[in-house]
Amino acid sequence: MSAVWLAARGAVRRRRLQTAVIGLVVFISAATIVIALSVLAAAANPFGSAFAGQNGAHLVAAFDSAREPDARAEQTARQPGVTAAAGPFAEAAVNVASVTSTTSATSAQFQRLGQVPPSPVLPGPLTVVGRSGPGGTVDRLDLWMGHWATGPGQIVVDLPSSEDVGPLFLGSTVKLSGGQALSVVGVAYSASESAGAWVAPAEIGALHPNATQMLYRFASAATAADMSRDLATVTAGLPRGALVSSQSYLTVERDYSSLLGGVYAPLLLAFGIIALAVAVLMVANVISGAVVSGYRHIGVLKATGYTPDQVTAVYLVMVGVPALAGCVLGVAAGTAAAGPFAAGASQGLVPQSAAINPQADVLTLGGLLVVVAATALGAALRARRLPAARAISAGSAPGSGRAVRVQRMLAGARLPRAASLGLGLPFARPARTILTVAAVALGVLAVTMGTGLTSTAIRYGNLAESHGTDQVTVTAGQPGQTASMPSTAATETLLRSLPGAVHVDASLGTRSRVVGTTQTIGVTFVDGESASAGKSVVKGHWIDGAYQAVAPPGFLSEQDMTIGSRLTLDMGGKPATVTIVGEIWSGDSDSITADWQTLTTLAPGRQANAYGVQLASGDSVSAYLAAVRKASPGLNPQANNKVNAGTEIVATTATMFTALVGIVAALGVFNTVVLSTRERRRDLGMLKSIGMTPREVTGMMVISMAELGVAGTLIGLPLGILAHRLVIAAITNNGTFILPGYMVNVWSAALVAALAFSGLVIAILGAFIPARSAARLTIATVLRNE
Amino acid sequence: MDMKTEDSAEDDMPQVVVRLDDVRKSYDGTPALDGVSLRIRRGEAIAVMGPSGCGKSTLLNMVAGLDRPTSGSVVVHDEDLGGLDEKGLALFRRKRIGMIFQFFNLLDDLSALDNVALAAQLAGTAPGQARRRALELLDELGIADRKDAYPGVLSGGERQRVAVARALMNRPAVLLADEPTGALDSRSGEQVMDLLIDLNQIGQTLLMVTHEQALAIRCASRVVTMSDGEIVADVSMERAS
Repeated sequence: MSAVWLAARGAVRRRRLQTAVIGLVVFISAATIVIALSVLAAAANPFGSAFAGQNGAHLVAAFDSAREPDARAEQTARQPGVTAAAGPFAEAAVNVASVTSTTSATSAQFQRLGQVPPSPVLPGPLTVVGRSGPGGTVDRLDLWMGHWATGPGQIVVDLPSSEDVGPLFLGSTVKLSGGQALSVVGVAYSASESAGAWVAPAEIGALHPNATQMLYRFASAATAADMSRDLATVTAGLPRGALVSSQSYLTVERDYSSLLGGVYAPLLLAFGIIALAVAVLMVANVISGAVVSGYRHIGVLKATGYTPDQVTAVYLVMVGVPALAGCVLGVAAGTAAAGPFAAGASQGLVPQSAAINPQADVLTLGGLLVVVAATALGAALRARRLPAARAISAGSAPGSGRAVRVQRMLAGARLPRAASLGLGLPFARPARTILTVAAVALGVLAVTMGTGLTSTAIRYGNLAESHGTDQVTVTAGQPGQTASMPSTAATETLLRSLPGAVHVDASLGTRSRVVGTTQTIGVTFVDGESASAGKSVVKGHWIDGAYQAVAPPGFLSEQDMTIGSRLTLDMGGKPATVTIVGEIWSGDSDSITADWQTLTTLAPGRQANAYGVQLASGDSVSAYLAAVRKASPGLNPQANNKVNAGTEIVATTATMFTALVGIVAALGVFNTVVLSTRERRRDLGMLKSIGMTPREVTGMMVISMAELGVAGTLIGLPLGILAHRLVIAAITNNGTFILPGYMVNVWSAALVAALAFSGLVIAILGAFIPARSAARLTIATVLRNE
Repeated sequence: MDMKTEDSAEDDMPQVVVRLDDVRKSYDGTPALDGVSLRIRRGEAIAVMGPSGCGKSTLLNMVAGLDRPTSGSVVVHDEDLGGLDEKGLALFRRKRIGMIFQFFNLLDDLSALDNVALAAQLAGTAPGQARRRALELLDELGIADRKDAYPGVLSGGERQRVAVARALMNRPAVLLADEPTGALDSRSGEQVMDLLIDLNQIGQTLLMVTHEQALAIRCASRVVTMSDGEIVADVSMERAS
């Protein structure tokens, strides 16, 4: 056995606690970094992650099946530049007449979510493709619920797992205009948007397919020009009109970027970056601390005859072994835990299994080991240059000039002596103190920013779901139903008359053509002022008269409109012109909210399909729900307690990162106290010998770290508030999204006061156990060994 | 030098400040003290001698409450140490015991004055009052002019004088010294010996562990010799002047 290994093994055995701390810090740091990198990758480019995970189609092409037989379509896959292809699949364009859910509760939720139809399966045109399964070489679908369609009357619908409405489709019946009824047996997601639904190949014939679908991947597909060339290549030689439609993945990607990029990605990015910074900082702190605290040992090794290179090697091995073990286990644990967080960060576009990011694993393993090696090498090289005698004498607590001055000042302070001694301890090791303060500050920053963002996300989610305002949502009729709807006025009167109701508003979500353009937009018509309406206005005012509308920033920006602009709507009858009177926060860029009089002009006789009910405080929601069901079985009341999916993702991720960062910061403090105790064994023994009680020893060590906790709080708290502001600014920077002031100004005095304790809590939690252990040092042994 | 043998089973007398009865201590089954009984009267200066590993320091630690016996009892200043918890032992040391170590054990970050004042401040004395008392002691020990110096710049003898001043700060019932001259050059060792003699002559009870026969002969009124954890001789001496 080499001398280096012998000495390193001995050092590891003798310093079991320190070895364990190194392993644990590196373990948690590695796990945190893997999760952070996976979340970063998923949040930064959810579509890219999903697309890569599914080996998505760069080009989805539909050929006229009457003109191009399947064999000809299949031949297109053999054109140069095509690296993979799937198809031919028979494709049918059908029209959905209605979707009927199996239960009244889910039907009610359908209606609510269907106010502005977001889904390809709501009434309207739908592209259905016959496929034998979700797998394949290209466009490997994420079948995240139910099973694949294998028999007659079965259909699988396309929705990402983030869609709350997804589970509601399972078991529902899709009725087509042609009279066919299909039962939804699965919900799958295609990042390539290759279809709105799928059936078994044997069943597509019943839907009268008129096209053949081919899915391609190309060697060059990075730009729109590449895609134009690729399209020209695969269609070369085909007669004019053979290609019915084509869709480039770049178009799909652009749509997703505007949908997802704005809100959650900056939040998750900020957390990921902070988690990375804390993890790297703490690894550097622990490793350099381990080497510095071993200076005495280094001196002894040199005195024994170890060469400087051997001494350096001993220390690299000593910290490298636990660091490597911690790193490998941490990467494995992080990989196992990253799936749900990354999937959440991708807004459900990426399934958990595909959210695992091998690059994150490799990067973490390599990067962290480089940090460990570089930090250890830096400290070991300093020790290497020290003369043996000085290295040996450096093993005890140092008496730096700064520490001496501080202790002199504190000696005269009217504080218990144990407290004043504790306050002076951090000044003995300024570099270690700075690293520890930095870790606590980053911990406080993370806690503060996490709390702020979670508060913002909760307020955002509450407004999105009308929490705290309308406790009950009542829907009427079925999705897509327009005829025989109950009268809006009568329903409002009925709902107001039931015990507990203090406010009722009605709404109808539909689509309308904008006169002078070919586009249609989503319009929610509202009757009566919603209790939550005022909160959503960020500029101008809420609707307070006839022919008024409010719109989100994205809509105004895309339409080149401002408050005061007018637009004319047409729903097939008499057109109506509305004036934009306010800007609301909602990020949906193709919809507006208009008053009820406008609907009456546009489509006389249309009735509301949803009602928001605000109850008197203290009144039972369940009693009101029962009363509505009893009064009118045709109405579907539901408690408005759904948690907003985005809020849940942000809150969960924020909590996870805050906890991890807090633990790593606390471990940093733990390590500092362990090292400090080791260095000050003699001093602690002497203090106990002259009558310092165990509680005073514990108090002294805890106070020394509490001081750093306070310093970390003073730095981290304002930075956390600033980081919250910056993240909010990043969210709203693209101009398509504005958060109302009350969502941004979340800092109450009570909240700030509570957060001010976070650094102290981190420091005390980290310090307490090693401080207790220091208090239990056996004096006789310590002093004799000295 | 006059010498006489003392009966270790002598009846308890009011002036006994340290009483050990059949004290045994073993570490991992290896006995360090094997049935030691000892009485120390107020004003005595006892030197404990013997080869390395004979149990001298263990005996000192028992009296200081730094370690607990496996069996037997230790009573100091009428306080049975076996009945005290860790906090009780700390308070006992604070009030009744002063300790001097071979390697001084001063806090490097504190000046000589603050090192001495520390013992009183831990006992709750106000900083100003503690410093005044510390200065008096440093003055009495002849190193008042070094009060602002830090341990790193003091000579070995000066450091040990600071340690003695710290040990005396709370007017201990017993001053315990573990090889007090072991780390000093001969001149500094002489000075510390003289200091201990002076302290004993003004009534300070002293129990010291030493390898140095000269120190024992000059300072002690009794010399206890140990071997393999047992007291093998207990001799009263007339100190050489």
